[in-house]
Amino acid sequence: MVDALERITNLLALLLETRAPVTIDQIVHSLGQYPAGEAAQRGAFERDKAMLRELGVPIESEVLGGSDAGRTGYWIDRRRYELTDLDLAPDERQALQLAVAAARLSEGEFGLLKLGADGVAASSVVANIPDDPALPALREAAADHAVATFAYRGQTRRLQPYAVLLRDGSWYVIGHDEGHAEVRTYRVDRIESAVEVGPANLFERPAGFDVRAAFPTDPKVLGDGAAFSARVRVDAVRARAAESSLGTAAVVRRDAGGGLEVEVPCTNLDAFRSWLFGLGVHAEVLDPPEVRDSVVEWLREMAGGR
Amino acid sequence: MTVRRGPRPTIERLRRMLVMLPWLMERGEVPLAEMAARFGLSEPELVKDIELVSMCGLPPFIDELIDVWIDEGVVSTGIPRVFTKPLRLTAPEGFALLAAARVAMQMPGADQDGALARALVKLADALGDVVVVEQQQPPAAGEIAAAATESARVLMSYWSADADTPTEREITPRRVFLDRGRWYVIADDHRSGEERTFRIDRIDTCTRTGTIDPPREVSAPSGSDWFAGADLPTATLMLAPQARWVVERYPTNTTQLTDDGLRVELTVASPQWLEELLLRLGAAARVVAPGEWTTLGAQAAARLLARYEAAGSEAN
Repeated sequence: MVDALERITNLLALLLETRAPVTIDQIVHSLGQYPAGEAAQRGAFERDKAMLRELGVPIESEVLGGSDAGRTGYWIDRRRYELTDLDLAPDERQALQLAVAAARLSEGEFGLLKLGADGVAASSVVANIPDDPALPALREAAADHAVATFAYRGQTRRLQPYAVLLRDGSWYVIGHDEGHAEVRTYRVDRIESAVEVGPANLFERPAGFDVRAAFPTDPKVLGDGAAFSARVRVDAVRARAAESSLGTAAVVRRDAGGGLEVEVPCTNLDAFRSWLFGLGVHAEVLDPPEVRDSVVEWLREMAGGR
Repeated sequence: MTVRRGPRPTIERLRRMLVMLPWLMERGEVPLAEMAARFGLSEPELVKDIELVSMCGLPPFIDELIDVWIDEGVVSTGIPRVFTKPLRLTAPEGFALLAAARVAMQMPGADQDGALARALVKLADALGDVVVVEQQQPPAAGEIAAAATESARVLMSYWSADADTPTEREITPRRVFLDRGRWYVIADDHRSGEERTFRIDRIDTCTRTGTIDPPREVSAPSGSDWFAGADLPTATLMLAPQARWVVERYPTNTTQLTDDGLRVELTVASPQWLEELLLRLGAAARVVAPGEWTTLGAQAAARLLARYEAAGSEAN
């Protein structure tokens, strides 16, 4: 029996070298390494093709005319297959090696092998970067100016992504949301589906668009809702933590016992609640009433499960 | 790369082959041992792959074969044919390279005009300048990272999570690492005589004592396992989709998708920490084990609710 690796290597060579698209029949006939029977041949070919695609091999296909009318022809476009030479200087390659060792992203190690780097370097400072299956697709969509489609909070979003951003341990994607017709930011680890990447070059990133400027530093003023300012009482035990996260300017009152009242600007109720409950049972929203009510509602729902 | 054991899946063998062949064709001949080490294979594994690929090529498989052979411990190639250029970067590889380079630029001591910055320009040209990393660096990070490289002792004043005033400690930093957006240092703590992990953003001031300790290799914890040595309790939680971010954010042992949601085992730093997390998750999370914590969230909510319901409550 022919080794599956041998057959798939030959298939890849054939698709790379062929001058005209080849049909499954032609492939089976010229390689002579597929099992007997049309169904078995098709199944084996589909498995081989899927494996090549998984490796990142771009396989083109089109429905043929002429004597093969109606059949699908396959080929590989060399320009799309081959690695673009980055022309890295030796010290640049070494620096990248160190970066990959420090960030410990195993896919990066393999990418480096392709770029001609030697083995793995060691770094005294290391970083654990959150990995998310959506990230490569979002990066690709942003680079290719392709629309990314995904589910987020139960809704399908169509986003023209401008960039992905890692801030304080979380990945975000920022771009023009087609449904809402405005710039939006989404947290990547809250995307609820696989990311679908549409055709390339369907939008332009606005000239001079500055991701950092467009991206609010504070999650509490990030995203969907209307702006509000919440007044919160913080007990003495967590006063230092609250003051250092908000800044001294946010403090509007100090109790003799060390407690504080702070003013917190927000547009995102979820992020606000998350910040608030980060202070555990030691913080209470005083104002505005609807925010206080929503917190009470949240707590009732939780306490009710008892 | 490290050498793996056990049977190698076809896809892994092919993936390496498509990098090895162009590399070999550029060089003409390379010692077997050197090539095996470089690509993370044992010598017998490499021999097997080379022998196989030498039978591959274009139909009718007579004169258009891939021209490679092994003779006296040297891998050689004749006329470069077919796989002369490496396969393009895959989406995950491209992302990982860009992200790694961007993150490394935010590390203590990174040279903003150095080789990495130049490499990054070339990467961004090819892969799009679309990955941005903003990582806060606490003031002490540079000093601590430098001390770790030199095994230099430092005297620091440190805010523990539970203290209202900073404490003075003498430590020898061993390894600096970033996890979930925070910088930590693993150090020899000379007060307790033990290895301890400290949060660098809680270091108020630090100065070198002048003592240089013998170097000691400390490996940095990866992913979720860095709480493993701390002997902390775990809780099993059931998470609705909107609470999935917990898995990315905190150390979890096992995750399992069930009909009721995502079941995760989470390392719990303290009951107080779990209580805060449960408040943040609201009705989207439920503790299923251990029994003593199944009502922790509801109790905290009830306590807090009582405070809201007693209008005009005072600080406790």
